[in-house]
Amino acid sequence: MKVRRVTTTEQALEALAEHGSAAQPLAGGTDVMVQLSRSEISPEVLVPIHELTELSAIETNGGARIGALVTHEVLAGGVLGSGYRSVAEAARTVGGWQTQAVGTLGGNICNASPAADTLPPLLVHDAQVELKSRAGSRSLGLDEFLVGRRQTLRAPDELLVAVGLSEAPPRSGDVYLKVGRRSAVEVAIVGLAMRLVFGEGERIAMARIALASVAPVPLRARKAEALLEGQALDGALLDEVSVAVLAAISPIDDLRASASYRRLLIPGLVRRAASTCARRAGVSYRVEEV
Amino acid sequence: MSSGLAFAVNGRGVTAVIDGAATLLDVIRNDLGLTGTKEGCTEGECGACTVLIDGKPVHSCIYPAVSVDGHSVVTIEGISGSETGRAVQEAFWDAGGIQCGFCTPGFIVTVTALLDSNPAPSEDEVRIALAGNICRCTGYSQILDAVDGVVSGKERA
Repeated sequence: MKVRRVTTTEQALEALAEHGSAAQPLAGGTDVMVQLSRSEISPEVLVPIHELTELSAIETNGGARIGALVTHEVLAGGVLGSGYRSVAEAARTVGGWQTQAVGTLGGNICNASPAADTLPPLLVHDAQVELKSRAGSRSLGLDEFLVGRRQTLRAPDELLVAVGLSEAPPRSGDVYLKVGRRSAVEVAIVGLAMRLVFGEGERIAMARIALASVAPVPLRARKAEALLEGQALDGALLDEVSVAVLAAISPIDDLRASASYRRLLIPGLVRRAASTCARRAGVSYRVEEV
Repeated sequence: MSSGLAFAVNGRGVTAVIDGAATLLDVIRNDLGLTGTKEGCTEGECGACTVLIDGKPVHSCIYPAVSVDGHSVVTIEGISGSETGRAVQEAFWDAGGIQCGFCTPGFIVTVTALLDSNPAPSEDEVRIALAGNICRCTGYSQILDAVDGVVSGKERA
């Protein structure tokens, strides 16, 4: 296996154009290096991109634009501000300090693990991924980009350079809740992100719910979101929302938990998430815990 | 294809020629002969292989060696020479934070990085910082006592 040293995005795109699917971009390496040693991937050319400092920028002007090489440690510090707390909460649960210090947001997205912690928060913030190749640039919704377990729409000659998040309006709140056996260095049994934007009269103007570890790919529960929109929070409504979330997911039995345990967790997570979103939005509603 | 690297280890400039998929741990133990850094899980879970790169703890067993070019690495051998590192080692000794010792270099490295960036961490902050280091012997409470020993010792001074 060869290493193609690059120092600019332009050079990286040249390398990817030249080697196509034989090339593997390498950022922090926290997934790629493990997959190499397990022979799960066998690229002919590694393209380390950690020196592309232009991909480490964060812009918060209206929405947020996060460079692909921004680390979990940076996001965990809350750099995006109070409108994007779910992103920081998720970043804090990706492995331990050692993983967060080098693991990147772009890597977590492209690895497309069903259990990726950062993906539900990005989905609830309507994330758009920016892809570049020598032929040009394109942007597409994260939910379209993720097509299956460890499968994305990234073409072999494309590099994910940034992810854009929608604006966090006033009277909105978000949260990421993760269930695992321990609080860190743990693959999620279920991860749930929620974002609620409140309008007039404490009715919900916009709702987003996304989950990890309950399907081949992290996904939004759109029918559950629609039930919330235009309504004020109450326990009966959240029961309906939980039913809709359960209809959207297809959890499996694996070594971490059974499918039925994962389903059992949903109503409590939905209630707790809604309660936290309301509190963070400054809306006085406390949902009774299950 | 091999690739040439030049970087600093414990303050000393070194060069190495590596294979594409080599890990930093391979270079540290096999090329540089610094065997204080341990290989545990090889998957970035257990923390026995923790070293510092530019002051931040990383799992050297999954850190691409090629990425260390031009950077500064500190291993447990280098930590022992620093003031904080020595205090942490003594505190682990005093508190019984060591049994079999296999995880200990990784713990000492992570704790030293924590205390160098935050000299008076809360117990929660210590627990969060150490989440990526696993110990199967001590049950962790002696390790937390050791960190507390360094912190309170500093406060007395």
